[in-house]
Amino acid sequence: MGEAANGTEAAQLDERQQRTDQIKALCVTAGAKVSGVAAASAFNEYVPEGHRPTDFLPGCRSVVVMGAQGPSNAAWQSPNRRLMEITGYDFRENVASMVVADHIETEHGHLAMPGPALPTSGQHPPMSMMLSAVLAGLGTRSIAANIILNPQHGLLYYAVVLTTLELVPDHQLEDNVCPARSCVRLYEQEGRTPCMAACPADEGGCIDATIEDGEITSSFFDRERCSTRAMNFGIRGHIKQVELLTNIEDRDERRAMIHSDDFRRNVAAVGRYKESVAQCFECMRVCPVGRYERKLK
Amino acid sequence: MTAPAAPITDRAGTELDADEVKAMILGGAKRRGATIAGVADPALLDGQPEGMRPVDLLPQTKTMIVLGGAAPRAGEWSSPRSEVLETLGTADRIGVTASAVARQIEDDLGYYALSVPTATDQDDKPFMSFVDAAVAAGVGSPSLAGPALNPDQGFVYLAVILTSLPLPFDEPLPTPACPAPSCVDMYADRGVTPCTDVCNIDAGGCLGGEIVDGLVIGRKFDAERCRDRVYHYWVPGYQKALEAALDEPDARRRKMILYGSYFTRTMWSITYSNVSQGQCFECVKACPVGSDGRQLK
Repeated sequence: MGEAANGTEAAQLDERQQRTDQIKALCVTAGAKVSGVAAASAFNEYVPEGHRPTDFLPGCRSVVVMGAQGPSNAAWQSPNRRLMEITGYDFRENVASMVVADHIETEHGHLAMPGPALPTSGQHPPMSMMLSAVLAGLGTRSIAANIILNPQHGLLYYAVVLTTLELVPDHQLEDNVCPARSCVRLYEQEGRTPCMAACPADEGGCIDATIEDGEITSSFFDRERCSTRAMNFGIRGHIKQVELLTNIEDRDERRAMIHSDDFRRNVAAVGRYKESVAQCFECMRVCPVGRYERKLK
Repeated sequence: MTAPAAPITDRAGTELDADEVKAMILGGAKRRGATIAGVADPALLDGQPEGMRPVDLLPQTKTMIVLGGAAPRAGEWSSPRSEVLETLGTADRIGVTASAVARQIEDDLGYYALSVPTATDQDDKPFMSFVDAAVAAGVGSPSLAGPALNPDQGFVYLAVILTSLPLPFDEPLPTPACPAPSCVDMYADRGVTPCTDVCNIDAGGCLGGEIVDGLVIGRKFDAERCRDRVYHYWVPGYQKALEAALDEPDARRRKMILYGSYFTRTMWSITYSNVSQGQCFECVKACPVGSDGRQLK
């Protein structure tokens, strides 16, 4: 009796594993670079009520996480930095999440939906894609703007699918991706990692940290300052310009601002939002994690 | 067709046949929606202004791949409602195809590949001339109306991929698509072609030029005027409407401008299309090049 039950359980586990592998492979086919699964219950330890998977999809059991590359490898090579302003992001992970959600609903008959990632209040998304990536074993937080670094690819953009389908969760990474060994050596020699040197908080930049025995012991990230630099064109830039415009009395001065290149680029960036949400990549440009993958022929 | 100097290898280092790789990439682009595709020697654009040459965007460039497609459908061209082309005429689809092809080259073959943004750079200048790239790749020729015209399809939206992948080059077209024989006859008869007739620069339009011995000589083009008409919704329309609203001292009239149809349509236009949404197609609508393909049942 016991053996039969064990056999049934093993078969179910095997089936669940196959289903999990198939869905993770679909993420990659649909455009993601990496994929993983977190248990919905794993979020309870880290985030308050209102931000957990089950708050968005009652009965949610699994969170499928997928990460896609932002700029192409060639874009990193371009001496025209403005090119990255436009090609910095193509939302492929979101496309992949739609494909995976559709697949789960149509093929497995379970509820599935892309997780809400865009901010709905201030700068906070309803659900953390970064935490999802960490829990699914796809990366760990870094000194550089808290960006989740994947050990193989470095910077990736993440999307998730929430589903009532039971899948086999992945484990979190055992080792922190950041700081990389070369960064630890540089820190020991010069007191800075490459990202801290590129954007030092004590010299008007956004990043600071301390490292002891190869581990981050403290880190500082000036998010407000970073967001005004990384997103200087787009929705926020446009809002700022509209505010300035409403305070300008002189008609000619107003006209000069409205027809300036800066204003045009802001409005164009609002239109291009699906491609361009960031204009500063300097901390990531110097980060050694994933650099090997970005080097092509 | 000229052969490149360097052999092509895949990510594993296996040497591949250059013609087969070219056929695979261009064939893949066509399956993704491109209707024309060609490969050009980037050195043909060495005479472009500094900053707009292929190597200025990607120093490793060995090849330019030019894709065309996403032109309005025959049904859209034949619609009596101008609003149809106003809302459907956009370069978005071909841009997405180019991004996918660039990703394929990087992911599968390990060569750098950059989809040149179809949006504009600083001061509203293009990152590079797509028309000149199309001419170099033999997929089109310059026209009196302005766009590169493909001999079979006429007007198409263009996208350019710069890559370090050394593919065999195509040659520029031996015979330009413009002026078409019927246009030469019309010019001999009336001193105008269909496009210069519909939008004549001497009668408040944008186009002019002579045809001598079957060739376009001294083309005239009022770019500013054309831009005002092609983009009367979209970013320039938004700038103009916003300026009018802020200049309006009467609160009720200001409200009418902001909530009016024109302002709303400018906002729709910006968010419908991340790159470009044209609202005037009159010169191309009158062009005979490619018009045979638009005659359906």
